[in-house]
Amino acid sequence: MSEFEAASQKPHRARQHGRKQEKKKAKTTQDENLSAKQRNPKAFTAQSAVRMARQYRRAQDVKTKKQHIPYVDRTPLEPPPIVVGIVGPPKVGKSTLMQCLIKNFTKQKLSNVQGPVTIVSGKKRRLTLFECGNDISSMIDIAKVADLVLLLIDASFGFEMEIFEFLNICQVHGFPKIMGVLTHLDHFKNNKQLRNTKKRLKHRFWTDVYPGAKLFYLSGMVYGEYQKTEIHNLGRFISVMKFRQLQWRTTHPYVLADRMEDLTGPEDVRQNPKCDRTVALYGFLRGAHMRANSSVHIPGCGDFVVQDVSMLHDPCPLPDKEKKRALNQKERLIYAPFSGVGGIVYDKDAVYIDLGGSHHHQKEPEQITPGSTHELVSSIIDTKHTIDTKMAASEVSIFRGSVPVTSTQVESSASGPQEEMVTDETTGRTRRRAVFEEEEEGGENSSEEERDDEEDEDGMTQVDPEVSFRTPGDGHASKKRKVTGQEKDGYTFADSDDDLEVDWDILHPPGKTPVPKMTATSKTVKTTEEEDNTDKDDDSEDDDGDEEMDVAMETTKEKNPSTQLGRDSLRTKNAPRETTTEVDVPKTMANLKQDEGSAGIVEQKAKKVDSKAEKSDSEMNSNMSDSSGGEDVDEDAGSELDDDDDDGDSDDEVDEEEDDDEDEEEDSSIEEYGDEEEKDERITPDETSAVLPLETEGALKWKENLSQKATDAFLRRQADTPNLRKLVYGRVAEDQSSDEEDDELGGLFKRTTKKSEGRRGGPNDLDCAKFPITTGEAREFEEIYDLIKDCFVTGDWGTQDAKRQLEEDEALYGDFEDLETGETHTAQTEEKEEEGGEDQKDNQEDQNSGETTSVDKTAQEKLLEKKRKLKELFNAEYDNEEGGESYYDSLKQELEQQAQMNRAEFEDMDAETRAQYEGYRPGMYVRLEVPGMPCEFVTNFDASYPVIVGALMSGEDSVGYVQMRLKKHRWHKRILKTRDPLIFSVGWRRFQSVPLYSIQDHNMRNRLLKYTPEHLHCSTTIWGPITPQGTGILCVQSVGDRSSDFRIATTGVVVELDKSVNIVKKLKLTGYPLKIYKNTAFIKDMFNSILEVAKFEGATVRTVSGIRGTIKKAIKAPEGAFRATFEDKIKLSDIVFVRTWCPVQVPRLYNPLTTLLLAEKDKWSGMKTVGQLKFERSIRNNPSQDSLYKPVERKPQRFRPLRVPVKLQQHLPFKTKPKQNPAKPVKVMDRPVVIMEPHERKVAALMKALRSVHKDKKAQEKQKVKERYQNYRKLLEKETAKREAREKQSKKKVYSMMTQMETKRKKKQGLSHDVPKMGKFE
Amino acid sequence: MASSGSNSHVLTYEGCNFLRQRLVLATLSNRPVKIKKIRSKDANPGVQDFEASFIRLLDRITNGSRIEVNETGTTVYYQPGLLHGGKIEHDCNEQRAIGYYLEALICLAPFTKEPLHATLRGVTNDQVDVSVDYLKATCLPLLQQFGLIANLDLKITKRGAAPEGGGEVIFTCPNPRKLRPVKITDFGKIKRIRGWAFATRVSPQTANRIVESARGVLNRCLTDIYIYTDHRKGQQGGKSPGFGLTLVAETTTGVMLGSEAVSRPKGADGDPTVPEDLGRGASKLLLEEIYRGGCVDSVNQSIALLFMALGDQDVSKAVLGPLTPYTIQFLRHLQDFFKVMFKIETLKADDDTELCTGADKIQLTCIGVGYTNLSKKTS
Repeated sequence: MSEFEAASQKPHRARQHGRKQEKKKAKTTQDENLSAKQRNPKAFTAQSAVRMARQYRRAQDVKTKKQHIPYVDRTPLEPPPIVVGIVGPPKVGKSTLMQCLIKNFTKQKLSNVQGPVTIVSGKKRRLTLFECGNDISSMIDIAKVADLVLLLIDASFGFEMEIFEFLNICQVHGFPKIMGVLTHLDHFKNNKQLRNTKKRLKHRFWTDVYPGAKLFYLSGMVYGEYQKTEIHNLGRFISVMKFRQLQWRTTHPYVLADRMEDLTGPEDVRQNPKCDRTVALYGFLRGAHMRANSSVHIPGCGDFVVQDVSMLHDPCPLPDKEKKRALNQKERLIYAPFSGVGGIVYDKDAVYIDLGGSHHHQKEPEQITPGSTHELVSSIIDTKHTIDTKMAASEVSIFRGSVPVTSTQVESSASGPQEEMVTDETTGRTRRRAVFEEEEEGGENSSEEERDDEEDEDGMTQVDPEVSFRTPGDGHASKKRKVTGQEKDGYTFADSDDDLEVDWDILHPPGKTPVPKMTATSKTVKTTEEEDNTDKDDDSEDDDGDEEMDVAMETTKEKNPSTQLGRDSLRTKNAPRETTTEVDVPKTMANLKQDEGSAGIVEQKAKKVDSKAEKSDSEMNSNMSDSSGGEDVDEDAGSELDDDDDDGDSDDEVDEEEDDDEDEEEDSSIEEYGDEEEKDERITPDETSAVLPLETEGALKWKENLSQKATDAFLRRQADTPNLRKLVYGRVAEDQSSDEEDDELGGLFKRTTKKSEGRRGGPNDLDCAKFPITTGEAREFEEIYDLIKDCFVTGDWGTQDAKRQLEEDEALYGDFEDLETGETHTAQTEEKEEEGGEDQKDNQEDQNSGETTSVDKTAQEKLLEKKRKLKELFNAEYDNEEGGESYYDSLKQELEQQAQMNRAEFEDMDAETRAQYEGYRPGMYVRLEVPGMPCEFVTNFDASYPVIVGALMSGEDSVGYVQMRLKKHRWHKRILKTRDPLIFSVGWRRFQSVPLYSIQDHNMRNRLLKYTPEHLHCSTTIWGPITPQGTGILCVQSVGDRSSDFRIATTGVVVELDKSVNIVKKLKLTGYPLKIYKNTAFIKDMFNSILEVAKFEGATVRTVSGIRGTIKKAIKAPEGAFRATFEDKIKLSDIVFVRTWCPVQVPRLYNPLTTLLLAEKDKWSGMKTVGQLKFERSIRNNPSQDSLYKPVERKPQRFRPLRVPVKLQQHLPFKTKPKQNPAKPVKVMDRPVVIMEPHERKVAALMKALRSVHKDKKAQEKQKVKERYQNYRKLLEKETAKREAREKQSKKKVYSMMTQMETKRKKKQGLSHDVPKMGKFE
Repeated sequence: MASSGSNSHVLTYEGCNFLRQRLVLATLSNRPVKIKKIRSKDANPGVQDFEASFIRLLDRITNGSRIEVNETGTTVYYQPGLLHGGKIEHDCNEQRAIGYYLEALICLAPFTKEPLHATLRGVTNDQVDVSVDYLKATCLPLLQQFGLIANLDLKITKRGAAPEGGGEVIFTCPNPRKLRPVKITDFGKIKRIRGWAFATRVSPQTANRIVESARGVLNRCLTDIYIYTDHRKGQQGGKSPGFGLTLVAETTTGVMLGSEAVSRPKGADGDPTVPEDLGRGASKLLLEEIYRGGCVDSVNQSIALLFMALGDQDVSKAVLGPLTPYTIQFLRHLQDFFKVMFKIETLKADDDTELCTGADKIQLTCIGVGYTNLSKKTS
């Protein structure tokens, strides 16, 4: 059967035709054609180790190249608007582009744009557009703040210098994103030319930005605007652009001010138009967190300290987080106060309120968040009675058990104050002082800074408690007396500061309140109060509406300066803050028994409650520090001192009164403690604002069942740890007094008080970090050990316990079988349920639906948790697949974690408390109050120039020597000269300074250079502001001129900061030999005194001819001459010189550019270079005659004959040796003249005749021989010719015979041979 | 001139207490500071020798600082320059131990232009100040957490007990450009206790007696205890006799808590110290320190907080035991000089676990000011 089957099975036949076969064939053929290596490349990968290594290295290179240094992502959740700078040369279409962009995003047309314009461009993005003017100062400033730059290029003209200048500025100050925009493209008629131009410009642009940088083409104008689609595209590009963090900006907070207000009183300005102004600058905070009271730099203006930072309601908020595709019309907000959008138009001398018909106005009600402000205003509006009547009706009991006092009662004892206008000479500010008739002759205070306060205080303190707000030690801190009606059933000020006022009201009899004369309308008052409240309110609900009102009021005030109230109230927005500082003063006074101050005693009393609160603090402190001092003592001291402090010398009477009061109070101190303590504890950092009103309330109602409260509080205090925040930072922290830093006095006093309660708290106690434990002796070992036994590894591990963890794990991961023991562990039932079937759950639900939902929920949560853990596990494993994670990865992860922690840490706090901890976050709309601004800033204000408020880090506000590495810009025409002033742009600043160029020698000596090298970096030192190392530097020679040259002179980077420099230049001192011995010589004229010589003893000297020597010792005469030894004898004609190095001083010029203060902002000119001055005044130096070039005359050189030394000669071979006696030529002339005898003469004559005959004969013979020879030659020739002829004849015969013979022979052989061969032979 | 900005906010304080804090913070923040009324009511008014010595030390490691002391010495004006560091030698006044100077130096060392290599001479151990052993054992591990790792060392070349001193230590510290933000919140469990018992110019047996007694107390808590003895003779032993013990408890997470006790100096009032009492006292103090707990030793609290505040602009966290008055004041000074405020939370022990870990701990959180070393040279 099987056999049969096997036989019946058909054998497989491979396909011969068709698609499949073709495929297969193609495959095989391909295989055949390929080499083995091609076929299976993996098999050949590791053929060469070297190659492998190279490949690996390259792969790693590529990988590493992609990595960037990771940084902690500090971008806030709601980022500030992106600053888009629109930059370009004049007449290139910047304004048009800006208008078009605004129109594109907001559908609004803004005709006259000035200053920054903030718009909402998308669901998650806002833009601040700024058009940059053409002067280099603006360009520098904008490059420092812009996140994105639209660089406009006139294509019809090509690149202009400004473009490249700006690009270079950007490169120095951190490169923001740059997008080129080509305009004026419609000028090209020829299409090809257009294309070429575009290409050319694009490539040039790419070389400067980066290859592939985006370049936009705006092809032409339609009705004076760019084409809609193109602008739309540009807008979309801007909206999706991503930005890199720039080093400088992530570490330095800054504000591009979009609104400016002059807060100086008009009266001050009237009296002294040049007085320093207090200015409020508004804008979005960018960069890093800004802490209160930080020092800032305003480029073009100078360094200032921000007096007050307050966050305002965002005028241009992002839309709500709803899922929508696009913004609706309402959300397309625009905010540009300088341009008159946003309700207010700022002009030189007036403020206009735009009530405009646009939708902008409608949104305002939405912006006002319903808060205390609103309620307050409405409550004021609703009030039926006037303050006076309310005051009269109210009654107050000052102490427990005392009879309530009504206002009329107090009236009898005090007469009301009268208003008086006081102008502070120093600050030029006007105040209204309340003068009491009795105390006109007030005492004097010593401290001058508090002079303006003193008068007030003297006036107030004696009879009647009155609230005065003062800022200790601050010359121009505003001071104000506030009068507010307070009725129990009426409105309350929802602020802690107001408890002062309340107290005061309590103490102060109604009717006699020193209410300033209400010259303003009641409406104004309301506004004032509202204003106060807004500021005090921690939420700070300052919205547009409010501001508008304020401004409105201000305008009215300006119109009639006599009505001061409104203005005053406006101006002194700080008042509440000051009061908070004030609160701290009393406690501080406790220590400084002798200190004299000038605060109103009355306010002391008014703040009794507060001081009690402080005492409770101090008590806690003492608890902590285990002090033995009783509270009573402290308090006594404290209260006494308070008084001492506050009234100064004049009011002793009151002192005593006060003391009595105090004592009384102290009797009941326990109860009060309780009360206050309770409040303290209620104030947790998170709910400061919410709690503060309660405190006010408490202050009012503290009489109610005090004993009960006291016991409660005491118990609570026992149970709880003290509120440490309050203990450490005191009241200030609670109330966020931003002024505290300004007046150190206040800050100081507060601090020392705290210590006084501590063990070593006194100001003159032992300064030691060690804090011995006094209880240590008391406690026994066992006692302590029982308390800490779980601190040791031997103790209980709690949740970390391995056993417990195991249990938990089991619960989490369910059952498993231990293979070793064979035990089966099962998960708990709950787990089973959730993993098990749905049926069970359903059943359960049926049974008791109410309970199960919660159970179900927890189960679900657990499941989720489990899933999450598993996923994390998987992720970790997956990422670590390739041999563990790299350093880069782990670093990145670490920083990521840090970023998360940064975000999460203060997330759930209220804004004000948060601001205290971490400063004001970027993205907030803040108002910065800057005092002491030059008046020109306001009078010459021009919104089209950027006003940047850049914060400075600690240390950056000081000046020192800054060493940097500079290189002359390769496009700058000339090299730069040492000591020529230069304008630097470093950090936020622009300033002029005098640089010294130097270069470091090999022995680390900094040697001065006269000029910058042409193409080389050189080190440069200036006296200037301390800026962190690594900050970019840019220099220009002047900001005023607009020459055609490239204006950027150098670029570089800060290298080092120091308080001293060591740059030297070479100095050669010359002298002349006085007397010369063998190797010693006396040198004169080098030094002037023995002392000088003594300083140079041992120095190396040298002559011009190169003989080296040393200075030995001074000689007596002539003065300054010295003995020196040389390596050889010098000549009297030699000049001796010594090389010395002379330190160079860096000129201390630091001149900040004050461009913003000028009327014409681009016309700033500072110190001029010498060259410039000479050129302007056409001064020419007379050159030294020695320096002039003359024609060179050269004499022919004459060499001396060569002399070979004798010793050398001896060794020379004979051939080259100069011969000893060379044969001298015989001089004929030297022979004596022979005078012959007559006989001899005859003989001689005969001999001469014979000789001549002989000679003649010889000559004839010679002639004959010659002739004969010639004849013979002729004969010979003839013979030869004959013979040749003969030979020729014979030869001819022989050849002819031979020819004949040959032919005969050939004929004979010709019978058998061919004819051609015969021919051939011939 | 532009220095107006810095001159305008001079901080003013009174009294000689916390002088070091103020001068150190002034140096770091580059703000001038004026300290008035230094012992103005004292019989011996004005700055004392040890403070003068400290001011001199400060002058030595800075460049361009200006110090003005008025005639009576009751007012000090200090305008800081830039920290220079480098190799310095300083003879500390014997009134206070080297620890007094070293604590301030540790605060400044990471921000110098050149890495600091300081040789300090004077009293190494006394009863008032932190001893150098203590700082070496507890502070240096703490500094490492902030990224100061390489070349961080404190070498005690000679010991010198109070009152005459004669000791010498060499402190070296690196100067990174920035400090790392830290998260020191995990206390762990104490795994070992180490100690150093020293004896100078007394019988070498003294150290052994101290060890014996200290072990007697501590052995009941933990078994891993080792106390080194350090007996110095001759030149190395300084000028005065003395002995003492420094104990350090190390946890599984590297937290170091220490305590110390030193003998009463020669010539002081009272009975001479018995080594056994000293050993027991130090061990008990260690237990007290453990009771106070926290991840930073009570002496080093201020240093940890300073470096947290001066870190990058990131959140740093540390869990401390109860704050000492010195630390509390330091926090206030930090707010004055750097405007840094710490978030202070009290950590409550979990109710369900009920572990006996001593006093309530305090968690301090802050965001650094992004302080960079302005003096260091970059290439």
